[in-house]
Amino acid sequence: MLELIDLSYVVTTEENGNGAGRRKIIDGISYNFEQGRFYAITGPNGSGKTTLAKLVMGINPVTSGTIRFEGRDITSLPITERARAGIAYSFQHPARFKGITFRDLLAMAAGTEVEEQLLALLRRVGICSLSFMDKAVDAQLSGGEIKKIELATTIARNPKLAIYDEPDTGIDLWTIKPMVRLLKREQQERGTTTIVVSHNRAFLEAADVILMINNGHIVYEGDLAGAKPLLTDLSACTYRRCLLEDQDVGCYR
Amino acid sequence: MLDAIDRELLKTVADLEELPKGAYNIRKNGRLLVRNVSANIDIESLEDNKGIVVTIKPKTVNESVHIPVILSQAGLYDTVFNRFVIGDEADVTIIAGCGIHCGGLDPEGHAGIHEFHVGKGAKVRYVEKHYAAGPGRGKRILNPATKVFLAEGAQAEMELTQIGGVDEAERTNEAVLGPKSLLVVTERVLTEGTQRAVSRNVLTLSGPGSRANMVSRSVIKGDSVQNFYATLEALAPCRGHIECDAIIMDRGKNETLPSLKALHPDAELTHEASIGKIASDQLTKLMSLGLTYEEAVNRIIQGFLR
Ligand SMILES: Nc1ncnc2c1ncn2[C@@H]1O[C@H](COP(=O)(O)OP(=O)(O)OP(=O)(O)O)[C@@H](O)[C@H]1O
Ligand SMILES: [Mg+2]
Repeated sequence: MLELIDLSYVVTTEENGNGAGRRKIIDGISYNFEQGRFYAITGPNGSGKTTLAKLVMGINPVTSGTIRFEGRDITSLPITERARAGIAYSFQHPARFKGITFRDLLAMAAGTEVEEQLLALLRRVGICSLSFMDKAVDAQLSGGEIKKIELATTIARNPKLAIYDEPDTGIDLWTIKPMVRLLKREQQERGTTTIVVSHNRAFLEAADVILMINNGHIVYEGDLAGAKPLLTDLSACTYRRCLLEDQDVGCYR
Repeated sequence: MLDAIDRELLKTVADLEELPKGAYNIRKNGRLLVRNVSANIDIESLEDNKGIVVTIKPKTVNESVHIPVILSQAGLYDTVFNRFVIGDEADVTIIAGCGIHCGGLDPEGHAGIHEFHVGKGAKVRYVEKHYAAGPGRGKRILNPATKVFLAEGAQAEMELTQIGGVDEAERTNEAVLGPKSLLVVTERVLTEGTQRAVSRNVLTLSGPGSRANMVSRSVIKGDSVQNFYATLEALAPCRGHIECDAIIMDRGKNETLPSLKALHPDAELTHEASIGKIASDQLTKLMSLGLTYEEAVNRIIQGFLR
């Protein structure tokens, strides 16, 4: 249902003041996501997962290649049109507003302000506290709260394709399992094609297919068992190489 | 008594479809149009009809006063001095507003000078909207001023809004806060075209335990200019915060200067200020919910000025 054909995203970078350089963030990715399946995308920090998701939503402009959604070329469609075609995206770092509440976002996402329907949505996404609805989506929300709101607005779209970018960051231990169950239920009951970008084992286990991305390439496609050797391999320190000329600032891994 | 233009202005600035319940005083083109007093709220004219004194008895609760001003006479510049004396432990809402309808070439303007004396433990909510409309090309000018004096434990919440159509506005807000008093000022201003608006605020925290919060939200469209100045001056152990955000659209210009003066070592004063375009992550979020770019801009501005 979502077809990526030789997709690339290139940015120009300033390289030590030697004029503009070019960096391929997404490097010729081709892949066919099938209707109704559950995909987990994983890979090291900075490998291009968010960039890929934003290419699909239309937030990043495609440098070259083609994106087809349900057989239609959407490569140059604006974000609004893609949203209306049935694609929804949960941001890794959700926007914060002044004077806009969760209720407002939910109503925009669902296209209704009818209280009953909004309450039904809350039940569907498992938010039990009603007072939450009138919270401002501003800088005061906690990291976990804003991710729950982000996820709820994505589900409220009733999308054909839902992309969740690290929905579990900041989410407490007690909520991760229910969150995985929720996304599985959406997939199974509504046939939502689901892509979750995550490093979390719970999501990797729930997925029908795991895709691993490194340096803007898909380096693995398959089940979790097959991914294990690569998971350990990619966890080797990749920082040393780029820091050789620099003084050793230490390794994070 | 009220014609169609009056009704439209009253609806916009004071949310009034009919004459309100309770006490009110409606001023039109520099003269009293209609007034009503209540058992607890008295309204008296100053000499020469230069303004009014509204006296609210101590312990008056759940009552409101409407004092809108409407202007529809070209060439008129109406200055009015209003004084509000709010008795101890009262809890009331005052709804003011000025609507200008300009049909001609001559400028029209209004300067409302409002003084509030809020008694011990009293609470007041003051809501003021400014709006101008009409087909005329005359300049619409509004220069409001408020002075607030808070006695011990008094609380005042001031909501000051300039909705649109005002060509020139110069606002000053001053307040002196007594012990344990609380002042919250929220100012929202939208300018467009070649409009100009200036807001000057000086809040003096003179009593121990006093608190002040000044919030300013500006939207600057077209070639308009808005400047915002706010000073918190602390003379006692107290807390104060200024939050001022300006969204610039098109070619608007803005100068924002929050300033803090601590003249007491136990004063806690903070400010945050920002000027910029609408954040692109906000736009992309709303567009990803199916809104067009224009719809997204409108929703963000609407929320910001709410
Ligand atoms: N517009 C841009 N200009 C320059 N560099 C960019 C741009 N967008 C992304 N990048 C770079 O591309 C790389 C991939 O970023 P991306 O956000 O896609 O990584 P990610 O796989 O989602 O990482 P994480 O796991 O940390 O979320 C990063 O090094 C990032 O700095
Ligand atoms: Mg990412």
